[in-house]
Amino acid sequence: MKKTVLGELEELVLLVVAASAEDVYGVPVMEQLQQQTGRSFTISAVHTTLYRLEEKGYLSSSVGGATAERGGRSKRLFSLTTEGGKVLLEIQRMRTRLWEAIPQAKLQLLGL
Amino acid sequence: MLKKTSSSQPDRQSPPRWADRLLEWFVAPHLLEYVQGDLHETFYKQVDQVGIGRARRSYIWAVLNCLTPFFAKRQRPDPSRIHYNKYPKPLFSDMLLNYLTIALRNLWRHKAFTAINIVGLAVGLATCLLIVLYVLHELSYDRYHADANRIYRMTLYGRMDNKDINLAYTSGPAGQALLKECPGVEAVTRLRREGAFLVKYNDRIIKEENVAFVDSNFFSVFNLPMLKGHRVRALVEPNTLVLTETMARKYFGQTDPIGKTLSMGNLGLFRITGVCEDVPSNTHFHYDVFGSLQSVKTGSKWFASGAYTYVRLREGYPIQQVEAISNGFVRKYMASEVQEFFGMTLPEFLQKGNRFSFVFQPLTSIHLQSNLDDELEANSDIKYVYIFSVIALFILLLACINFMNLSTVGSAGRSKEVGIRKVLGSVRMQLVSQFLAESVLLTFLALVLAMGLVLLLLPGFNELAGKQFTFSAIANVKMLGGAVLACLMVGLLAGSYPAFVLSSFKPITVLNGRMQVSLRSGWFRNALVTVQFVVSIGMIIATIAANQQLQFMQNKKVGFDKEQVLVLHDTQVLGPKLSAFKAELAKLASVVQVSKAGFLPAGSSSQSVDGIQIQDGTRIGTYRTKSYFVDDDYLSTLGIRLAQGRNFSKDSPADNSAVLLNEAAVRTYGFKNPIGKQLSTVGDGTEGSKRTYTIIGVVKDFHFESMHQPIAPLLLFYGGDSGQLALRIRTDDIPSLLTNIEQRWKADTDNPFAYSFLNDRFNTMYRSDQRIGQLVSIFAGLAVLIACLGLFGLAAFTTHQRTKEIGVRKVLGASVASIVTLLLTNYLKLILVALLIASPIAGYVMSEWLRDFAYKIEMEWWFFALAGGLAVAVAVLTVSYQAIKAALGNPVKSLRTE
Repeated sequence: MKKTVLGELEELVLLVVAASAEDVYGVPVMEQLQQQTGRSFTISAVHTTLYRLEEKGYLSSSVGGATAERGGRSKRLFSLTTEGGKVLLEIQRMRTRLWEAIPQAKLQLLGL
Repeated sequence: MLKKTSSSQPDRQSPPRWADRLLEWFVAPHLLEYVQGDLHETFYKQVDQVGIGRARRSYIWAVLNCLTPFFAKRQRPDPSRIHYNKYPKPLFSDMLLNYLTIALRNLWRHKAFTAINIVGLAVGLATCLLIVLYVLHELSYDRYHADANRIYRMTLYGRMDNKDINLAYTSGPAGQALLKECPGVEAVTRLRREGAFLVKYNDRIIKEENVAFVDSNFFSVFNLPMLKGHRVRALVEPNTLVLTETMARKYFGQTDPIGKTLSMGNLGLFRITGVCEDVPSNTHFHYDVFGSLQSVKTGSKWFASGAYTYVRLREGYPIQQVEAISNGFVRKYMASEVQEFFGMTLPEFLQKGNRFSFVFQPLTSIHLQSNLDDELEANSDIKYVYIFSVIALFILLLACINFMNLSTVGSAGRSKEVGIRKVLGSVRMQLVSQFLAESVLLTFLALVLAMGLVLLLLPGFNELAGKQFTFSAIANVKMLGGAVLACLMVGLLAGSYPAFVLSSFKPITVLNGRMQVSLRSGWFRNALVTVQFVVSIGMIIATIAANQQLQFMQNKKVGFDKEQVLVLHDTQVLGPKLSAFKAELAKLASVVQVSKAGFLPAGSSSQSVDGIQIQDGTRIGTYRTKSYFVDDDYLSTLGIRLAQGRNFSKDSPADNSAVLLNEAAVRTYGFKNPIGKQLSTVGDGTEGSKRTYTIIGVVKDFHFESMHQPIAPLLLFYGGDSGQLALRIRTDDIPSLLTNIEQRWKADTDNPFAYSFLNDRFNTMYRSDQRIGQLVSIFAGLAVLIACLGLFGLAAFTTHQRTKEIGVRKVLGASVASIVTLLLTNYLKLILVALLIASPIAGYVMSEWLRDFAYKIEMEWWFFALAGGLAVAVAVLTVSYQAIKAALGNPVKSLRTE
């Protein structure tokens, strides 16, 4: 598979899905994102990203439980695929490498 | 929107319905369920957290955020996604897109056909648009007044000595009497005109033609909003003026005109008390300066005063009742004046068959239906509205027929496509809609082109039609909506024939190659072509007749010599210096003769009408006769000749009570030997104004009115009217003569120098006739052009169909000439039939038109022959190109196409 670049939102959404215990759908993903980042997201943005990640093969989806407050409409539930897991690990490794490359003295010099 | 929803459903806390609908309409079905579910879930959570109002707002915001291409994109039948939708369901729009693609490809392949088709239709549409614009404007006259349907104009009808008198104005006191005696009359307003005025402001003197004197309630009866000054009180006092906006700017620029004064000719100083909006172009009068009626004498005699009188009735009051009341006025007020003016009692007067009554015209009908004496302006005629509407319809019909023929022809080669489509499962309705979509597409292309054409032609059309349309008159919602709707109709109608014919093909026959198309059903197309030529030939005949009549009027001997006569305007301002000025001009080398000519047979002229009494034994005949006041140079200056007797002479002082008659007057009065006979004028009824004259001569009849009217009796009295000077000139260098005269004029007066030529003035009289002539010729040209385009396409089609036949004929020894004849005869037959149908119709219509002219041509046989010949020539030229091409073709090629 060709190397795919993940955008920031895509990465965040993928992380949120990975972090949840069970399969999740749009609303909890959006809420998590808002809690964690403090920024506001729209449903449409979240959905667009979820579908895009599915298209890229990092998420898989299934149709799941309808509730009354949804007007009896079912949910599209997403879960992380192996590909998705791999890509997250890859990103983390790349970040760590970069972190380790920062000279210790530099951050201290900036007073951090 | 939000509030409305929440008030209609107070107990249910649901997201806004419209936002939901929008979402459902926009978002692709395979995504909708999940997105909408999530949105609703969030919404209900938010209702609990932040309240219904904010939840609704953020819901709408979230829905609007969903309006992205991602959500709009419908799912493709992609095998990897088959779990969403088991069977592919192509959307309706996909099929439409396919039709559009095919249509564009087809149009592109047959570029020439497409071009002919679109151009023909565009020309038709553009013509139609322009005519509709004209007709709508004509119909809109005076309809903008608030109570237009309750306003009537009171006019005077009379019958004296077996002659009808139809005046656009009525007796001065009549309006006020009506207001007093008829409870249904809400308001009466009067208007008088006193001719042109020389308006003096500071040192400038400008001639104003459009001056009217009106009652103070004029601006409340008519919808002419006042911009400054009081609507009701502005014109109460004498010597007050209301100017239109344009006029105020002309004299006072940006400064406030209220309270300023203008000097109005011989009426003295006027104070400006108001400014009103310009009178809209669709009004039956166009005045720029309104003076108060109090400033001029209106007269109190019923028989010797006049004012244009408008009455506004109360809602629902019948006009018949007003008429009935008004006709009582004759007995009540006019009886004593009959005695005074005509010297007989009212019963005697009536017994002689004389009558007077008042006629009421609806305000909205004046422009198109009124043609009385002394109209405020020359009105139009409902006839022309009809004529042009019919022409517009005809031209559109021609264009549609063309379009139909050409579309049928253009699609004939597509039988294979139809076959394949059917085999692949197209239902007939789909094919029909495909062909309809194509023709609608074509009409819209034509409409775009037509708009361009209109934009291009508008200035020329304005000049021709005497209107001032701007492009915004067309580019408004009503016109455009109408045009688009009309195009849709035309597209559907014109497309329906090919659509239904083509879609009825049986795939098996079509694909077998045995396709000698059922389009052979030639009678229908032949009928259409015949109709086209009926219209074209009819219009050519009309053009020829109209132009012949115009030529006839231009060239007819009018009884005076209109060439090389210069007319100087407003010479009365010279006052006592006039005689010296006239003598000075007469001495100029290039001036042959000068005459005081306030009365002239063409263009602006003084008017005078008198009651004339002729004593014939014991019987006294009274005639209402027009009269001129001329000096002794008048006849020779204008080249009017004497039939009997002598001209006025300076040397004969008795000529002050002498009179010249024209031949028509001699006939009407019944003189056998007129010279030396006497006649007397009635004047304004008082004894002092009655005078007796002796006839000293008879002039040959000359056209002192337009040729629409027969030459009426005319009297010429001695005593020139100094309103204008007529100069018979003999020079090639008119400019230097004019500067010479102007210098002399400037030396004598500050007033503006204005002049005209008699032949120009004469031509202006027939301008509206010429306009009609020009318009009809242009439309006839267009009709022929469109018909030819259609014929060209059709010929191309039929010759193409007969390729094989022509090949066989050539092989068997037919000559090129015989084949061309063969192909042409069919069309010539059609044209002959068209000529037979068109001739009687056009002949009848044109003789009706000619009936309006007192002096006219007869419809001659050669008009019809010429029109037929023209049509044949044009058709032969169009068809023969195709015919010759086919006839010259190599038979080997055409026979090998099997």
